[in-house]
Amino acid sequence: MPKPLSFFRSFFSKILLLVFLAGCGGNSEKSIGNSNQKVELSKITVTDDLGRKLQVPENPKRIMALSAAMTEMLFAVVLDSMIVGRTQVCNYPEAAKKKTVINSYPVDLEGLLALKPEIVFTEDGITPMETAAKIEQLGIPVYFQRYDKVADIFRGLNDIGKIMHREVAAKKLTDSLQTELNAIENEVKTHELKRALVIINTDPIYVYGRNTLMTDKLEKAGGENALKEVFPQQSPQLTREYVLQLNPGFIFGISKEQNETLFRLYPELQKVDAYKNKRIFVLNDDLASRPSPRVVESIREIRNYLQK
Amino acid sequence: MNRPLLYILLMLFLTFAVTVAGLKLGSFETDFATVWNALFNYNPEDPAHFAVLHLRLPRLLLAICVGGSLAFCGYLMQAMINNALADPYILGTASGASFGASFCFFAFTNLTVFGIYLPPFAALLGSFVVTIIVVALGTRSGQLIPSQMLLAGIALTSLIGALTSLITFLSSSEGKLKSVIFWAMGGFEKASWESLPYPAVALLLALVIFMFMQKRLNVLLLGPERAKMLGVNVAQTRWIILLTVSVVTGFAVALSGPVGFVGLIIPHVTRGLLGITGKLNLIFCALTGGLFMLVCDLLSRIVFPPAGLPVGVVTSLFGVPFFVYLLLKKNYKFG
Repeated sequence: MPKPLSFFRSFFSKILLLVFLAGCGGNSEKSIGNSNQKVELSKITVTDDLGRKLQVPENPKRIMALSAAMTEMLFAVVLDSMIVGRTQVCNYPEAAKKKTVINSYPVDLEGLLALKPEIVFTEDGITPMETAAKIEQLGIPVYFQRYDKVADIFRGLNDIGKIMHREVAAKKLTDSLQTELNAIENEVKTHELKRALVIINTDPIYVYGRNTLMTDKLEKAGGENALKEVFPQQSPQLTREYVLQLNPGFIFGISKEQNETLFRLYPELQKVDAYKNKRIFVLNDDLASRPSPRVVESIREIRNYLQK
Repeated sequence: MNRPLLYILLMLFLTFAVTVAGLKLGSFETDFATVWNALFNYNPEDPAHFAVLHLRLPRLLLAICVGGSLAFCGYLMQAMINNALADPYILGTASGASFGASFCFFAFTNLTVFGIYLPPFAALLGSFVVTIIVVALGTRSGQLIPSQMLLAGIALTSLIGALTSLITFLSSSEGKLKSVIFWAMGGFEKASWESLPYPAVALLLALVIFMFMQKRLNVLLLGPERAKMLGVNVAQTRWIILLTVSVVTGFAVALSGPVGFVGLIIPHVTRGLLGITGKLNLIFCALTGGLFMLVCDLLSRIVFPPAGLPVGVVTSLFGVPFFVYLLLKKNYKFG
């Protein structure tokens, strides 16, 4: 059977080559001046949002992301030709759909290796550390970003710009987004804060917690997260009674069906102000759940509903 | 007063006391006066009254019903199979119900059809279908062969478990995954006055029926041959037990998910405290199961508010040490 044999030969030779190259690189590290940065021939050391120090190519040309949001981030900053693949859940922008699909759950390591990315970008909470360690064993650094606030997304875009030598494009984008955001914030400043609960799941009830990007988005849209309590989980599970006690003025779900199910499954919730005043709305799930450059679009969508 | 009756009165008192305490626990701040008024001077405009009467009380009663049902059915199955490791789920009820509910979460975006929330119905259907298959596999010429049924139950549980895992794996969204996983660990959050009568009536009827069959159950523990010699219609008794267990467990699991361990340990606790052939064993077993489940649900919500830990986790955490203690302390032997 020549085909499987040649495949295994090719796969193992790639791994051996990567291990060999990694070994070579490690022997030729040197420091630059007084800076703490170490240079490994054409590699630089960067620190990701989790505080992990990574050695990445000084001029990376082949990159990809392991999350839908991060793919949007990359497409917004770098040239399309630099992005070598996407995951099965990446559906935006249109150009992303033309890229080779790498399964991200579980990560298709062989497929990833075949695309030869020089850096893999991902989000905290999306890619397990164990998976990241496996990818790094193949010689591909994994750069994590983390977003708790809208400002973290802008910082993340600029960080990608720095690594990919696309600082000007990143700065232009974040400046433009900031201007749009300022306009929205100035517009809503005079309105009273509106308490909104954003439902992720109905059975059981899970919502966006206080310590999430959603709280910041709601505040920038002129509202506030109806959930005041901070839970250890980013998406805490709530009881019907807890939601009744919160009595949110607005309820946002991620689909019409989900919203209908919520009130059929828990008819008691028809007592909350949001239901009584018909302020139950559907958010675009991709916009709501992804910390991406479309964050301002997401805030605008929320703002529009809060004004109803 | 004899000891079993004393134990039963103690269980009744404890169940009442814990239920009253449980009525105070929730997101709305409520004192005992509010609880009293909610029960006897109900004001529909007061959200705290509503929470006490329509959310907390049905939840507590469902926990009692489900705990009682599982413990009672565990007792019956252990007597029928004559095996200390038997529990209500050996008929494949839990795996069938899990598969039914998981399939719903996976296949239907809108979980409601004609205003009916599908997962409990799918769970009930799944539990009945799997139970029928297990019983069919464990029957030869109209005679139930417990050992064969036990093996069929184990095999089918593994098969259905694998299918459920496949569904879980194929679930595209985090929400669906959470629904499937949460359901499999059990809980009483969806309790309502509308759904409560099903498990309650099933349990009460079954208790009444088996109060008159207690002697037959005790004789079954001696083994089928001796039971026959003593005049017990073994085949008929086994069929009655099977039918009862499948209906009572089916309703319990459909409404709460497959809460583990209660159906295994509480029958042993019962025999450990009241003896193997006590006349009031079945009632005590159901009461203890109900109280145990009630306490576990309350503890789960006290430790991890507001939604609580999955009740199946708590039943195992608290049940296993006590079970081990009982086995060591009383030098307890089954049968």
